[in-house]
Amino acid sequence: MKKLLVIGTMIISLSSIVFLTGSCSSQRELAAQKSGAQLWADNCLRCHNLPSPAAYNDVEWETIGLHMKERANMTTEQIEKIVSFIQTAN
Amino acid sequence: MKKIIIVLSISMLFFGNSITAQDSKTGKTQFMVRGYGHAGLDYLKTESGTSLSYVGSSFAPIFLFKQGDRFIFETELEFVLQKNQLEIGLEYANLGYIINKYVMVRAGKFLLPFGTFMERLHPAWINRLSTKPLGFGHDGIAPASGIGIELRGAAPIGGSTINYSVYSTNGPQLKIGDDEPDEVGMLNFDNYIDNNNNKAIGGRIGFLPFFNSSMEVGVSYYTGKVGDKGSEYEDVKASLWAFDFSYVKQVSPLKGILDIKAQYNLNNVSDAYYTVNNDARDTSAVYTFTNSSNAYYAQLTYRPLMVGNAFLKNLELIGRYSQLNTPEGSLWESDINEATIGLNYWITWRQVVKVNYSFINSRGGHDAEDASLQKSNAFFVHWAIGF
Ligand code: HEC
Repeated sequence: MKKLLVIGTMIISLSSIVFLTGSCSSQRELAAQKSGAQLWADNCLRCHNLPSPAAYNDVEWETIGLHMKERANMTTEQIEKIVSFIQTAN
Repeated sequence: MKKIIIVLSISMLFFGNSITAQDSKTGKTQFMVRGYGHAGLDYLKTESGTSLSYVGSSFAPIFLFKQGDRFIFETELEFVLQKNQLEIGLEYANLGYIINKYVMVRAGKFLLPFGTFMERLHPAWINRLSTKPLGFGHDGIAPASGIGIELRGAAPIGGSTINYSVYSTNGPQLKIGDDEPDEVGMLNFDNYIDNNNNKAIGGRIGFLPFFNSSMEVGVSYYTGKVGDKGSEYEDVKASLWAFDFSYVKQVSPLKGILDIKAQYNLNNVSDAYYTVNNDARDTSAVYTFTNSSNAYYAQLTYRPLMVGNAFLKNLELIGRYSQLNTPEGSLWESDINEATIGLNYWITWRQVVKVNYSFINSRGGHDAEDASLQKSNAFFVHWAIGF
């Protein structure tokens, strides 16, 4: 139980430090401006290798986009930008 | 046999439809068949002997069914040979609907977002090593899936992102020795028929503090009553915690990608008295113990993706350490640790040859004859593909 508390406290304090230092308004604007290509490069390699846009056709990417939105807990905006980027890059 | 024919004909239907989905005019409904499989050779050396065998013969097709922009049905079947018998498992089968930008609802059988390993990292083409870390899978202490309903989503907050899942399921079931007397007090996570009216609830919060989403920390909790309704175990409650960590980043000075993954699990089941019958001797004994288990793993992967050499680029080095401790005083008391090193070669982004070597130290476990320290080694060569 003690171990748990220590780990919990570490995670919460770490998160709040990063959160407090990271939530200035310019960053918020930047986040909204992140391009599909950037979002793809930042997110699609977090669990598996970065998939090549050429791996599937446009229609297939729409289905995969929905599947990954769900699996990777992403917002609709993020996944829409990623899928549009992939569809222009494949 | 009949079952197989039915399943195969259904898959043919899906394959048929996926061809039409590729026509230039797209309809609102799209089907896809995806999935994965693997084959390999396993060598195990324990103090009592060695074994060498080819493995494989598993096939996991995934069917995705998208209707419009908001609705998805996903299901995965798993075909495996267990002692020459074909077994078919339903890994997951759920409906998902996007309510708004930040919320999605899912219902059915889904992989539980309890930590990240089972939901995100276990498929053979994603898992960097041929085996799961200790504590996951058969006789594990971490739940893999559940039947129920879930809300999930994400929201950007400043330059960070928060994601969440909250769910309610039928929950795990307490083993009271009906099938295997040695397992009294263990949790059965493959229990999909509810044994009581109490619904288990759980959730995970993930936090990606950095603007480039390279790091994620997550906390998960899952709790519920696990005893059969009307039995003396009715009020026995389980509380499960998981903490996960992920860091994936292209590091220029290292000319490659660094990938760190870790998860810590802690299970607590409230105290109970278990009666264990010994039929051979016609006796019975009553046991109790502090029912608390924990397991963790930490894994470091490095792939020199930015070097010029085409062969080196596809190589990957992996090291993983994992540990599992089950309750002291229980009939399944054990203390196991495992260190695994691996060298992978990526043929494509979803196809890999893994060469792994594990050093395992174990004490106890319900198959062990005594509690002495056993050292074993294992060597695996696996070829995995996602399609
Ligand atoms: C949170 C982890 C995670 C992230 C982030 C992620 N994926 Fe996946 N991805 C998975 C898992 C897990 C599977 C395997 C699905 C299964 O076996 O059920 C998968 C499968 C896939 C597949 C195979 C087809 C399919 O749908 O199963 C493709 C293609 C894919 N991902 C693309 C992407 C793209 C593009 C992104 C970036 C938007 C992405 N992934 C981000 C976890 C992730």
